[in-house]
Formats: sequence, C-alpha cells, structure tokens
Amino acid sequence: MPANAPESDNGMAWIEKQLPTRLETIREAEMEVVNRLESLGYNEDICFAVRLAFEEAIVNAMKHGNRMDPDRHVLLAYRASPERVEIRVRDEGDGFDPCGIPDPTADENLRKPCGRGIMLMRSYMDEVSYSSSGTEVLMVKYRHP
Amino acid sequence: MKIQTREERGCRVVVLVGSADVNASRMLREALLGAIEAGATRIVCDLASTDFICSDALGVLITAYLKARGRGGFLRLADPQNHLREVLETTRLDHLFEVFPDVQGALVRT
Repeated sequence: MPANAPESDNGMAWIEKQLPTRLETIREAEMEVVNRLESLGYNEDICFAVRLAFEEAIVNAMKHGNRMDPDRHVLLAYRASPERVEIRVRDEGDGFDPCGIPDPTADENLRKPCGRGIMLMRSYMDEVSYSSSGTEVLMVKYRHP
Repeated sequence: MKIQTREERGCRVVVLVGSADVNASRMLREALLGAIEAGATRIVCDLASTDFICSDALGVLITAYLKARGRGGFLRLADPQNHLREVLETTRLDHLFEVFPDVQGALVRT
C-alpha cells in the first residue's frame, strides 16, 4: 500500500505492483493501466496523456531514483474509476527536489536531450505531487477536469 | 516500434512505426546516429505512423538533430499526428525542429 494512501475510496481499490528496475518491464504495466482506462470508456486523448505521464514517472524512478540498480524496485499503485485515475510511483532512491529541475522549455534548454519528464507529467496530468522525501509521486487525471 | 529507412532525393527517410517509448529509444538511436556516422546527414523522420513518443525518444531526436547539423546536414520531422504534434508544442521542440506536414514537403526544401 502506498504511504498515506487510504485502502479504498468510493470503491476504488488500489492495484499494486512491484517492478524490478528493468526498463523492459514498463510496457506491460503501462498497457495494463491504459487497457483499464479504455475499458472504463476514457477517450484516446486521456489514455495518451496517462500513458505518457506513467512512462515518464516509471523511467524517472528507475533511472534517477534507483539509478538502474537491478536490486532495487519501483513500487507502483493505481486505481481508476469512471471519473478519475490515480497513479503512485515510488522508488528506492535518495529522493530529489522537484523544484530544482530547470525549465526544459526555456530557450537555453531546448537543445538539451534530457530533463523533460517531469514537465510532461505536469502538463499531461491534472495533479502531480511529490512526497516530502522526493521518492514518491502521485498523479491524478480526471475524466472531466 | 519498427523502423523503416529509404533513400529519397538525397535524403535518408526514417519511418517510425508504432510507439517511440523508452525501450524503442535504443533502436532509434542506433538508426539515426548510425546513419549520421555513416555519412547520411540529411534525415527526414516520417512520424505519420508514430502513435506515442516519450522524453527519452525526444532526446534521441535532439541528439541526432545536433549531430546532423554539426556535419552540415539536417534532421526534419514530417507528418506528426495530433498527439505527437501536441507533445512537440508542449515541450516547445517545435521551435527547435523543422516540422513539415508531410515527407514530400520536407524533401522539397533541401
């Protein structure tokens, strides 16, 4: 169970997974979430947005949190209703300060190949918040924001 | 993702079919940087059949764009569909890349 997460909310039970730190494991988990949203009737735009934010969060957790250490894991929890989907991603790293990330859309940063993940998560989800430790992110997307 | 390549009007056309996700990025990097290393520095990426792109794949496109330009060439994007076009706009990478509505348009301006 994610830290401070209620066991359920309006019947929405958390579905939890523990992923090894291997990029190859992302696709299956990603498509499980997308398939769930499709079954609930979410449109293509929302499914794309959630898929993108999900991938960015998991990749960040594996690369920057767990530093691709195969002995560490990424803890994933999600729950979806017809109204909203919530996703929590937690790594086993040292945490980071999300406010310390340079703006990748600034002219001087456009040529940098990295640093767009968090911006994309914030742009494509309705809510993105980090735990104080900087090791867990909660993202929410509403069907009708 | 599948990557198909062809030569057309002196350019290397790289067609990305499917999802340019983090696991496809390595393949994309090999295709683009390998082409540039081999001397193909005029590149058009056909995105008409690309249904997803992540920041990792965007990073590969940026790296290849800079390398191609550094060698006097270019890397242009052609025909991104709605979701990809929105990602390019959100990241403001539409200000970095030349984005064309179709491959022929990207090839004509050589």
